[in-house]
Amino acid sequence: MSAFHFDGLVWHWPIAIYLFLAGLSAGAVFFAIMLKHFKLADKAYLSPFVQAAAVIAPIAVCAGLGILVIDLTKPLAFWKILVFYNTSSVMSMGVLVLLVYQVMLFAWLGSVFSTPIQQWLKQRLPLLNKLLALLARHEDVITGVLVILSLSLGAYTGFLLSALIGFPLLNNPVLPLLFLISGLSSGAAATLLGGVLMRGNPNGVEVRFIHRIEIPMILVEIALLFTFFAGLILSGGQSQVAALNAIGEGFWGWIFWAGVVGVGLTLPLAFNLWMKVSSDRKFAYVAVTASFSLIGVLLLRNFILYTGQMTAV
Amino acid sequence: MDNSKRRFLKGCGGVIAGMSVYTVTQTPQANTTEQASELKYAMVHDENLCIGCNACEDACRQVNHVPDGVTRVNIERSGPFGEYPNQSYRFSRHSCQHCEAAPCVKVCPTGAAYIDEETGIVAVNEDRCVGCQYCIAACPYQIRFINPETRVADKCDFCQQTQLSEGLLPACVLACPTNALVFGNLKDPASALVKTLKSKPTYRDKVDLGTRPKLFHVRTIDGEIVL
Repeated sequence: MSAFHFDGLVWHWPIAIYLFLAGLSAGAVFFAIMLKHFKLADKAYLSPFVQAAAVIAPIAVCAGLGILVIDLTKPLAFWKILVFYNTSSVMSMGVLVLLVYQVMLFAWLGSVFSTPIQQWLKQRLPLLNKLLALLARHEDVITGVLVILSLSLGAYTGFLLSALIGFPLLNNPVLPLLFLISGLSSGAAATLLGGVLMRGNPNGVEVRFIHRIEIPMILVEIALLFTFFAGLILSGGQSQVAALNAIGEGFWGWIFWAGVVGVGLTLPLAFNLWMKVSSDRKFAYVAVTASFSLIGVLLLRNFILYTGQMTAV
Repeated sequence: MDNSKRRFLKGCGGVIAGMSVYTVTQTPQANTTEQASELKYAMVHDENLCIGCNACEDACRQVNHVPDGVTRVNIERSGPFGEYPNQSYRFSRHSCQHCEAAPCVKVCPTGAAYIDEETGIVAVNEDRCVGCQYCIAACPYQIRFINPETRVADKCDFCQQTQLSEGLLPACVLACPTNALVFGNLKDPASALVKTLKSKPTYRDKVDLGTRPKLFHVRTIDGEIVL
């Protein structure tokens, strides 16, 4: 039994990448909205961080869905998922959320960036100008719906796996919450990294705002991760076997302790605390902290997906 | 700002009201109970009679055109138990359990995995399946697979498409030289299936998951006692 090939393995790493990208998109949108609402208001479109989120969110969700479609055994039949729905299927409901999410995402981008886009268009394409004006008028509703959809999308990837009743590690009520919080933190990290790469001020209000949320978010993530495994171990039986198999010795144990806990949680937490104390943020600190968070979440997705399928009831 | 908040809350209220009206209209009327089908297929595998000859697997492969490398039914052999010359093996059938509450049907996004209302058979609609493999991951018995030729999720359907449609028993049942397989209608008290179930102690796999499988096993008398 090797780490990446074993009996009973159905979903491989492309699914983990998709889970990562969907959470990242949801998180980036969530933080862009928070930045605009609490800090930047009408000047939001000028912020490199909001701009970064505006680029990252649609690309991440589209790339993730692209990977998902290619991973089907009949990629050309993917449209059937969009036509036929099954209300008892988490995946089917997720497809619905993803569809509406993408529509609302582009609507929100249109409303937030309507001023610069209209300036760029001048009076060409009058129809598009009208649409942008309409979106800008309804920005409050679009924002509210998009917040709900981004949180739904973040949790959905967890529900997708927790519906698999044959695998005790996945069929776990904490998993959707864990995926939601880690997805949000990956979105925050991507927004920060993209923002500083687009010459955003690493000591600006945006970074300070996100970092203030990031510390409690990492702490919550650690608590959720602890609850996740403590719950499995205390339930005994195959749940206990699955948990100890995952975080014990071996390849995935290393990935968990060194990758997820070390690089993904402990180091970003330490850096964040240190930056809070030093009150002076530099490009390298912000970029490295964000990269560690991203690596950690990507490893977490792979870790859960693979170790989850290793132990069946 | 206040005004926009009010508008958003109003919108949310509208959505919730709409959803509740929708769910109310969806609840079924009391007097429209469906006519329950008189047919519900199930199978018994008697592990005492099974000799592990694999005739069932070969017959299934031939009749249902199952390609090499994958299989709809598989007899798992464990053992040997005991000391020579009193050695024995244990044979266990590994195939679709046709669950009453089938996890694969529940998770299938397109409805390609479905329970045939007429017969209770868990079947696959090949046209609907896109190959997301959610059903394969969801099946606690791990018996679904992707057919390499059709690229569609495949599994035992009690020969619904082949033998049953011609009024014959499933291929594995007909091929079994020791009559270890009994197939029939659970709702017919006179059927050989119900008689077998009433005369022999049987067990079903992973019943604690609540899937209510319809593949019954008669446990081998010989063989290992496992704690």
